[in-house]
Amino acid sequence: MKLEIGNFQVQKVEFGKTSSYKDGTLTINKEEALAVVFEDEHITDADLVLTKPGDDVRIVPVKEAIEPRFRLNGGPAFPGVTGKIERVGEGKAVALKNCSVLAVGKHWGSFGDGLIDMSGEGAKYTIFSKLINICLVADTDEEFERREQQKKNHAIRWAAHRLAEYLGSIVKDMTPESTETFELGPITKRDEKVKSLPSVVYVMQPQSQMEELGYNDLVYGWDTNRMLPTFMHPNEILDGAIISGSFMPCSSKWSTYDFQNCPTIKGLYNEHGKTINFLGVIMSNLNVALEQKERAGMFVQQIASSLGADAAILAEEGYGNPDADFIECFRVLEEAGIKTVGMTNECTGRDGQSQPLVTLDESADAIVSCGNVSALIELPPMGTVIGELDALKRDGLSGGWEDDEKLGPSVKEDGSIIMENNSMFCGDSVLGQSVKTMREF
Amino acid sequence: MVKEIEKAGITIVQMANLIPVAKTVGANRMVPTISIPYPLGDPQTSKEEQWKLRYHRVGVALDALATEVEEQTVFEV
Amino acid sequence: MKKGILYLNQFFGQIGGEDKADYAPTIQEGQVGAGMLLSNLLEDAEITHTLICGDNFMGSNEEEAVEKLLGFLEDKEFDIFFAGPAFQAGRYGNACGVICKAVKEKFDVPVISSMHKENPGVDMFKKDVFIFKGGDSAAKMKDDMTKMAEFGNKLLKGEKSEGAEAEGYYHRGIRHQVWLEDETPAVVRAIDMLLKKINDEPFTSELPIPELETVPVAPAIALENAKIALVTSGGIVPVDNPDHIQSASATRWGRYSIADMDKLDNRANGAFKTIHAGYDPAAADADPNVCVPLDALRAYEKEGKIGSIHEYFYTTVGTGTTEAEAARMAQEMIEHLKADEVDAVILTST
Repeated sequence: MKLEIGNFQVQKVEFGKTSSYKDGTLTINKEEALAVVFEDEHITDADLVLTKPGDDVRIVPVKEAIEPRFRLNGGPAFPGVTGKIERVGEGKAVALKNCSVLAVGKHWGSFGDGLIDMSGEGAKYTIFSKLINICLVADTDEEFERREQQKKNHAIRWAAHRLAEYLGSIVKDMTPESTETFELGPITKRDEKVKSLPSVVYVMQPQSQMEELGYNDLVYGWDTNRMLPTFMHPNEILDGAIISGSFMPCSSKWSTYDFQNCPTIKGLYNEHGKTINFLGVIMSNLNVALEQKERAGMFVQQIASSLGADAAILAEEGYGNPDADFIECFRVLEEAGIKTVGMTNECTGRDGQSQPLVTLDESADAIVSCGNVSALIELPPMGTVIGELDALKRDGLSGGWEDDEKLGPSVKEDGSIIMENNSMFCGDSVLGQSVKTMREF
Repeated sequence: MVKEIEKAGITIVQMANLIPVAKTVGANRMVPTISIPYPLGDPQTSKEEQWKLRYHRVGVALDALATEVEEQTVFEV
Repeated sequence: MKKGILYLNQFFGQIGGEDKADYAPTIQEGQVGAGMLLSNLLEDAEITHTLICGDNFMGSNEEEAVEKLLGFLEDKEFDIFFAGPAFQAGRYGNACGVICKAVKEKFDVPVISSMHKENPGVDMFKKDVFIFKGGDSAAKMKDDMTKMAEFGNKLLKGEKSEGAEAEGYYHRGIRHQVWLEDETPAVVRAIDMLLKKINDEPFTSELPIPELETVPVAPAIALENAKIALVTSGGIVPVDNPDHIQSASATRWGRYSIADMDKLDNRANGAFKTIHAGYDPAAADADPNVCVPLDALRAYEKEGKIGSIHEYFYTTVGTGTTEAEAARMAQEMIEHLKADEVDAVILTST
């Protein structure tokens, strides 16, 4: 399968009469864009707010990030979500780079939502401070979850995905400034030279813990909780087959943007044919019951072995009980003789002294560690807040709190904040961008 | 918490789904439960079945408290 | 000029050899033996006093030794404390660890020692003391003392440690996130590590698997007269969460009366719910007994299998909660459990 993504490097975004793109400037007709949002009557209030790196802006609660894309065969950018299901990962698509659509609650946050500071000390905690963010700030009539800590955030997230597709369509007829090509042929038909290289699978464990539908990552619109591990072509992940969910404590979250730009997949592509034979992606999940974890591990082991994988990179979207899936897969892959490197973040507590993963095994001897969900972060107030700052302390975000005997509330009177890294939007970048590691002190 | 309570000399049994985690945190007496969100009763089953499972496993846990062990032990349900 | 104090055993304290291992603790003004070297290596600081104690005295009378030694320090002003280097000497390593830990707890100054990796004092005290990786004999005195001094200088200047590996002390089990100076992204590090592993070349994991601590097994109990308590980390609380226990990273716990209850009534009826954010709450909200099995335990109480159920159940939230906080909360719960003569506990986790 061959996928060509035509890239447009967005330098500036502004509102204007006609949605268009020229020489790095993306112009958005706000009414047209919002019309796409309001296609869902459950959206009661919506606005688009623009912000760019360096702005004195704080954004919270952020529920999702998506890169604007359009598929040139006219099919949906996110099959099963923005349109009917069809296979992705092949043909041509266009992408608006250096920017993302953010789904932001006008008022209401939830456990898995996060925060982004576009400048200052807080900017380093998330890659999204380096992008131009087109913020969809919205409210909905989803009363059933208004006061719940766990929210599906369905209306806002689906609207943001539609919006990302609308924005991508702006450049659909234009010649891309550059093109990225991703090509990986059928495994048994590759040439001898490639076949002689060590073969590698990328095992992904997206979050799927909630038993009720509507919260977990989706593959072609299907809930990952209702899946057994399967084999996917890496292009599918880059081209919209999988979207993020609405549960995972935010620094561990893999947003749709992260999937679309998955650095580990791109990194393995770079090595393909040179140092490795990149077989493809084993898409597993992170179900909660022990038997389900063991069953998933069995499938991962069998698929990897049957493909003849020599090695694997394994990544988990989460901490806590997902560590059990991570260690289980690590263990069974190594048991099958498949040399594995794991990518994860840790939860060592604010004092740094807690055990990094909830379960351990000697076989997990090669791990790249991307950050500490528990790190305590204090930040000054920012000039403007997109969304609602109080959500951080009031709505049960994983890294914020109403009150604490020693630290007080997460949001102070003057707008300064104290929080855990846990709620930094996609802060630990376990899919590969993280420039953080963990160190012994 | 299990370790602290046991160190204080109070006999304790941990009922948990993720036995590997219970082992890692140092529990000596362990009884498996069926899942994380509903350790002792699957809401997809009838109330009768949930009760039977819960009654049975709590029984195993109590028996575990009454059993001498030398090392970390998972009690069969 | 900042002030430091050094602890030495009877040998390095120039009292005598093995024959003087029972030497009772003393304090001397100024420097003794290698303390002079240490003092010279310190910048803008000096060793003002030296504590000396026999290794056997400390080994056999630890409490008394520590009390005496801390007593000597009570009226002294000092900014930093050193002990050793202990090389491979096990009793000396233990003594250094014991005194350093006690000084840190009482006086809250940085405590620095040095030991060879085989010294049992390393595993026992590396969490509490900066123990530098030291040589196997006194021939390494200069090297080891220098490392201790250099780090001491750093801390005295108010600088922070750059990490155990960079500085040269044993891992203390404290891990924090850092930004890599060269900003190498995780994917590059992973692929690099993968290629090395595939080619059987050496590599270093960013997360070394730590050793596990086990505790001695508590004795089996006789059930018929036993008082059993229910404890949970599943976050089951009365619906108004009166103690405001946090849904993640908890630092609070609660104990709630279940006297006269045959089971835990649910959220819909305004009784109990779960506040644990790390799992789907639906089942526990609908029937809290799936998490805290009071109903089943009551049945056993009625049948006479157990003596009684403790009138309170204890609860907190397990997700994200640090081990240190969990241990503290457990200590607080234990006080109540002991006062109320609880014989055994069933702890349910999610």
